[in-house]
Amino acid sequence: MTDADGDGSADGGPPPRSARDRAFDVLDRLVAASATERLLISGSALLLSVAIGFLLILAAGRMTSCDAAAYSLFGVGFCYDPILVYDSLFLGAFGDFFANPLNGQFATTVSETTVLVFTGVAVAVAFKAGVFNIGGQGQLVFGALASALVVYALAGAVSGLVGTVVLVTVGVAVGALVGGLYGAIPGALKAYADANEVITTIMLNFVATSVALYLAGGPFKDPESFANQTRRLPEYALFPQPLFPGRTDASLLALALAVAVAVGIAYLLRRTAFGYDVRTSGIQPEAAEYGGVDAARTVVSSMALSGALAGIGGAVYVLTIAGNFQTGVPDYGFDGITVSILAGNNPVGAVAAALLFGVLKSGSIVVDVGTDVPPQLVGVLRGLIVLFVAMPEFFRMIGKRVDVRDRLGGSRDAVATDGGEEA
Amino acid sequence: MSADLGDRVDALGTRGTVAAAAVLAAVLAVAGLAVTGSGDTVVAVVALLFSKSTLAAALRLSVPIAFAALGGIFAEKSGVINIGLEGLLIISAFAGVYATSITGSVWLGVVGGVVASTLLALLFAVVCIEFRADQIIAGLAIWLIALGLAPFASQVVFGSKNASAGATFPDIQQLLADTGLPVVSTALVGALDALAGVPFLGALFEASPMVYLMFVAVGASWWTLNRTSFGRWVRASGENPKALDTAGVDVTRVRYAAVLLSGVLAGVGGAALSLSLGQFVGNGPTMVNGKGFIAIVTYLLGNYNPVGALLSTMLFAGLDALQLGLQGQDVLAIPQSLVRTIPYVSVIVVLALFGRTRIPEAAGEYYESGEE
Repeated sequence: MTDADGDGSADGGPPPRSARDRAFDVLDRLVAASATERLLISGSALLLSVAIGFLLILAAGRMTSCDAAAYSLFGVGFCYDPILVYDSLFLGAFGDFFANPLNGQFATTVSETTVLVFTGVAVAVAFKAGVFNIGGQGQLVFGALASALVVYALAGAVSGLVGTVVLVTVGVAVGALVGGLYGAIPGALKAYADANEVITTIMLNFVATSVALYLAGGPFKDPESFANQTRRLPEYALFPQPLFPGRTDASLLALALAVAVAVGIAYLLRRTAFGYDVRTSGIQPEAAEYGGVDAARTVVSSMALSGALAGIGGAVYVLTIAGNFQTGVPDYGFDGITVSILAGNNPVGAVAAALLFGVLKSGSIVVDVGTDVPPQLVGVLRGLIVLFVAMPEFFRMIGKRVDVRDRLGGSRDAVATDGGEEA
Repeated sequence: MSADLGDRVDALGTRGTVAAAAVLAAVLAVAGLAVTGSGDTVVAVVALLFSKSTLAAALRLSVPIAFAALGGIFAEKSGVINIGLEGLLIISAFAGVYATSITGSVWLGVVGGVVASTLLALLFAVVCIEFRADQIIAGLAIWLIALGLAPFASQVVFGSKNASAGATFPDIQQLLADTGLPVVSTALVGALDALAGVPFLGALFEASPMVYLMFVAVGASWWTLNRTSFGRWVRASGENPKALDTAGVDVTRVRYAAVLLSGVLAGVGGAALSLSLGQFVGNGPTMVNGKGFIAIVTYLLGNYNPVGALLSTMLFAGLDALQLGLQGQDVLAIPQSLVRTIPYVSVIVVLALFGRTRIPEAAGEYYESGEE
């Protein structure tokens, strides 16, 4: 959506430029040319999904029975009121923001957004390398579990402010390590055995869920709990939350870390040799290989990086929202796919998209409490958004009808599984 | 994923691949047991493997996977990679239960499931063929939509994410007895009764009608793909759409037909899944639980041959049945939640060893006729 670094300095310099510099410039121009169009496509996809969701709520309202119609249109009564649902979904997530910006519902939005930034950027990194990481969920689950176990084991050794610094750092590092290793497996299988990563990552999600259920329900189960979960971490082992009073889940510090990581990844992809390798193998694998990029190693390392980011997301989930590892981790990994696709695989754009989904996740709780409409509605919206963002041609055809096509950029595909930037 | 898999040539034939995979799975299973258990355990597991109930469960578990795989073959052979099979199974599993609960008939329930799945496949086809969406992302979206929509609808209609149909399929003997043909049905029922007494293979003679329909569908799909002009068009549309276009056949129409057919087939599979239990389970990944993705692996492993896909389906379903049997009998020291991972791990192992399948040349690509 927006550029990570305002790079006006790249062009116009007189010194001799290497082939690599020129390639960077071409890539930059490609991204800039399609950025506006992507924003338009993502915005339209969102609006269209909301419109279809509106109809869905009306249709669902006809299929159920109620005493009095909650909403009526053209003399037909409906049991559910779509306006109220959307009001709860989008505005409810902010709570009474103007009276108290630090209210509980907004705290939930912040904490959900934080985890989603990590999973969204994780998917984006793999996408940039031309690899479709659907395994963010499994990587997050293992990262979360490992983080919870290691931090618990170390929690007795340190305490106080020093303890917080040490434990949170260690927890995040362990999450990154374990998530990265688990992400490297499908990467290596793709690179060296040609196993389709879409299938392997989905299978590894199922494996991770089952293994985590075994570990959290067996050897590492909290003996005092009936649920399958690990022992609760002491409060000083969690992310500090200086601003939201009475909450242990919403940490602006964690959110700041998430944003910093997103910006850092954007820089890594844009301005380093590794990022160049990743992006060229995503756009033109044959050309990258010809240009000396080790394609197999790039696939493995970008999947490891992607897994590490998802793993950090898991660690942050444990160290802010959950406070221990619990089975039945929410679908952050799958939402990360939507976040990344909506952001056109741009890491910084993923922050904005994550906020949108943080709002939806938090808002779905308000919908659940405040209306009779099932909160699974958000799941449907998630799918519709992905579907519409995947079909830029649809919006281009509409664009042609209303004659704004000249103002749109020239890129063909907004998001695609081959890196998403081909001209 | 389409481009770099494109020009691989599968050195092994379908049968060779499936046979090798079966042997490998058996070796892996025995090796796993040798590490974890004693000789008694091995004997118990082998006994379980060749018990009638395991075969019965394997046949029952094969149905949704095999139907989805057949659908996937048609779509992908025509050049549209349908990764949304999982979503088609989910939506038809729910729609089957919903239609059955309204009409009281499981057969109308199957029709309901097919209609829902075909409509969703139509959406997928329009998005991919008309609006040139990335097929993998659109397929994923179909899965996510169904994953949200089915529990949503269940909650609206039944007040819970899980719903009961109030009916299940009659078994084949019941079905024959109900036909009312006096001599034929009694003779057949008697013969089936006798055959069902056979120790292991007896399970073949007392299965749900959907199991027999599965065998019929596999044969019919093979025939359609290899012996009819529609089958030729589908294959040409995936391998060389330009040539098909030149020959005067509308590539777009062939692809629409193939994707819709995948919706119909997956719809039968999804409805068969939920109606064989008489209920829809919508918690977490729903009762479909990855079967649509396993279906994709089975047809890749079967090299797009319906018979090969059925054999590899039986392999995975057999592992799943064994896994269920192990959970039930408690013969292994391995905890249930780990045993449950066997089918998923075997998918990964098989894919890693036989991943170099040759996908249709033009699969995943949008085709634009040059006539405009």
